[in-house]
Amino acid sequence: MFEFQHVTKQFSEKFVLKDFSFKIAEGDKVNIAGRSGIGKTTLFRLLLGFEQPDSGTICYKNKPLTDANVWEVRRNTAYVSQDLNIGRGKVQTFFDETMSYKANLHHKHATGKELLQHLDYFELPETILAKNIEELSGGEKQRIAIVNSLILKRNIFLLDEVTSALDPSLKAKVLDFFLKNENFTVLYISHDSYLPEKTVVRTLKLDENE
Amino acid sequence: MKMSETIDLSGFSMVMCGVLLLVPVLVASYLKLGITRNLLISTVRMAVQLVLIGFFLEFLFKLNNAFVNIAWFLVMLFAAMLSVINNSGLKIKSFVFPVFLSLLLANLFVVLYFNQFIVRLNFIFDARYMIAIGGMVLGNSLRSNVVGLGDFYKALNKDEQLYFYKLSLGASRYEAILPFAKRSFTSALNPTIATMATMGIVSLPGMMTGQILGGSVPLVAIKYQIAIMIAILASTVLSIALSILFTVGYSFHKNGVLKKEIFKNS
Repeated sequence: MFEFQHVTKQFSEKFVLKDFSFKIAEGDKVNIAGRSGIGKTTLFRLLLGFEQPDSGTICYKNKPLTDANVWEVRRNTAYVSQDLNIGRGKVQTFFDETMSYKANLHHKHATGKELLQHLDYFELPETILAKNIEELSGGEKQRIAIVNSLILKRNIFLLDEVTSALDPSLKAKVLDFFLKNENFTVLYISHDSYLPEKTVVRTLKLDENE
Repeated sequence: MKMSETIDLSGFSMVMCGVLLLVPVLVASYLKLGITRNLLISTVRMAVQLVLIGFFLEFLFKLNNAFVNIAWFLVMLFAAMLSVINNSGLKIKSFVFPVFLSLLLANLFVVLYFNQFIVRLNFIFDARYMIAIGGMVLGNSLRSNVVGLGDFYKALNKDEQLYFYKLSLGASRYEAILPFAKRSFTSALNPTIATMATMGIVSLPGMMTGQILGGSVPLVAIKYQIAIMIAILASTVLSIALSILFTVGYSFHKNGVLKKEIFKNS
């Protein structure tokens, strides 16, 4: 699915990744670990083409990532950022905007009923749709962003600290949802040690790359 | 439709004007605002510039040649373009062509439409109208574009994560920038809309005052003012839309990432 081949990335004088190689296969669940500032988010930004490696190659479906096929990656992955700035306006409008993108019109996406099921699973009331994003708590915004990634019906997930503002029971619920699904390829950054039963999760420790 | 001829200001009148200038100078000095020098320099600069432009306009109006008028209009556009880019915090060399083109298309269209269909001139390049009306619509386009274009790129840079988030959801570059463009558009248009809403009550606009002093009946001046405000609104909306549309082609990498080198302080 994804492969990092001898990737080096530095910001100013600081190396974030140095001759980094790693392979992610379809259905893999990978927990990206490491102290803060080590480059965990940069890994996602590189995969989505928001940053360019200084050297080395990143492959998607065995093809080097270029300015052209990076758009395909963005259309096929669901990224949930750690940034809680997900926009302004009503929650319903936020979902509607996501589904209005031309790239999402051709894909099979969730119906209104499925959206409500997702909201219910993540313990969000239906009435939240009429609320303004600015009124939501950090935890609610996180779950709204998670639901937004699910209504796209994609199978590759890049989850950047998506449970940081949730209480322990909800954290477990979120991780259960993503890690127990065999069809999902999940790369996630999390400081939680929780692991659902009968799941195989690979841990990528970026500190060891130093 | 003239009520009376304009009273010319004599040398004595201009001296009395200078006496009035003592008010801001004395207040600034007394309060030690530290702006007295700048205030005097700006006043002298304004006077010299206006006297020179006065002679130049007299020459232009006498000549009244279409090519010369268009050429001067292009000079005004060029100066406006430099001012828009410079005051938006953007690098001039990146945006010369797209901003010039957007100002040109929006303002030329509005001025010629105004001359042809509203004033119904026989000679639509008439200096008196082309330069005067052109100056008014261009001045307002300039102010709105500084806000609109500047806000648009500053917001994209500041909320880059949000922009990236939209791209990651499958948005095209156009779809991802649309909410940013809409917000900048609104903030750029709000002052014009607010001015229109209070016009006549809070302020008597400069053009109308000028016409009344020049001897026009107030109702004629008002008709012109209504027409010019609508022309300003049209040129403002058109030029902001075009300048955002034309500049985005120069501001992003092919992968949709905003080029940092477009900013002046990059």
